[in-house]
Amino acid sequence: MYEFLKYEVRDAMTADPIAIGPDTRLREVEELFESHDFNGVPVVDDRRHLLGILTKFDLLKAFSLDAHALVPHYDTIMEQPAAAVMTRDPVSVEPRLPLSRLLQKLVEMRTKSLPVVENDRLVGIIAREDVLKALRRATIQHEIPIHEDSPS
Amino acid sequence: MTTLLYTHPACLEHDTGFGHPECPARLTAILNTLRTAPFAALEWRDVPQATVEQLTRIHPQGYVERIFARIPRRGNVALDGDTILSPQSGEAALRAAGAVCAAVDAIVQREASNAFCAIRPPGHHAEPTQAMGFCLFANAAIGAAHARAVHGLERVAVIDFDVHHGNGTQAALEHDPGYLYISTHQAYIYPGTGRRDERGIGNVVNIPLLAGSGSTDLRHVWRHEIEPALRDFQPRLILISAGFDAHHMDPLAELNFSEDDYAWLTQQILAVAAECCEGRVVSVLEGGYSLPALAASVAAHVKALMEAPRAAQRSLIKGILERQKTRRNAAGS
Repeated sequence: MYEFLKYEVRDAMTADPIAIGPDTRLREVEELFESHDFNGVPVVDDRRHLLGILTKFDLLKAFSLDAHALVPHYDTIMEQPAAAVMTRDPVSVEPRLPLSRLLQKLVEMRTKSLPVVENDRLVGIIAREDVLKALRRATIQHEIPIHEDSPS
Repeated sequence: MTTLLYTHPACLEHDTGFGHPECPARLTAILNTLRTAPFAALEWRDVPQATVEQLTRIHPQGYVERIFARIPRRGNVALDGDTILSPQSGEAALRAAGAVCAAVDAIVQREASNAFCAIRPPGHHAEPTQAMGFCLFANAAIGAAHARAVHGLERVAVIDFDVHHGNGTQAALEHDPGYLYISTHQAYIYPGTGRRDERGIGNVVNIPLLAGSGSTDLRHVWRHEIEPALRDFQPRLILISAGFDAHHMDPLAELNFSEDDYAWLTQQILAVAAECCEGRVVSVLEGGYSLPALAASVAAHVKALMEAPRAAQRSLIKGILERQKTRRNAAGS
């Protein structure tokens, strides 16, 4: 585990991740979720400034009951732009953040992934799977087995 | 003395299109249940069409004409995403509003203790000049206005326990101190109105309930808000906007009422009615979109209506004896 403590977010994140613009229709976002194993996708402007994040949860939330319609209508909702349902000002992390800190954040927030931002621009995304993989990688060779009944 | 059941075949012909939750099968499920042995004492009555006079007490004539102008010769026409017209919708809507007026007539004239109108389209979202939320004409408000205009009742209360706020009924009645409108509904869902601070001229009591609210919350708001408001008002007639979509199995909301809760609430309303207005209650179907839950809830509601408190029965008998006496005196003179 000591090796893991040396890792930073940038060592485990997916760099230059797929991102969408604020005008992307929810229908296209859903197709993206279908074809990739994403749980969420960052929303950026032309200069890759992070505007928000749109997750499967946000998509579900778009269909929850509200004051606008007695019955939520699939086609109407799927024609909405990402900007209408994304989570704005999302929590993001810096690439230099220790991965152990990032792990702590994911646990506390119960979130599945976080965008990685450097100089105001989206540079990566880091998900639960990435951290699990890093844990495995960090410990596979270097962990020293502890034997309770080791000979004295 | 029994409970009157008002319904009409035209209400089954209002076709909202494939898969629509406000479907004819709702009424079929209700009527099939009410045809079973425990409801044999119900007196089924056919209903007349509402007259223009009855409708225009709430809706401007131009609105009524606009609705009828939109009715298609075949197929469906959408007034909004969810409010759909079919060729038979006009007659169904007239029978629905007509049923409430006929029921009011019968109950005020003491032909029975109370009545249930098994009708569709529902009415409580229809504002004086705006059809919406499956509703074309404000059936309950039309009945309330009818009771005041034709029978001279000074105070008419409408209790609306549909899971959605009855924005139409409220809009129709909130400016007249002769009406009291009380609504329990789920907060933050359609149509977005019904906040506590919407109080009309002091004659509107809105009780929004948070998602997940159930039996305990219902009993709490009855004791602390609904019953005191009703007793203060001393209605001469109580109309119920009886939607059953606050049931825990309903797909369009997240309240957790049960059949027993509907029976209990009906009994409470009847007990107040027995004290204030000789038990006069006219109940009008609104929403409810799980067919089994709807049928079971209506059954519980109507059973409670049929077992109206003895107090109401006693005052009815008194009324009948008085009428007979008057008739005898008239015949003798």
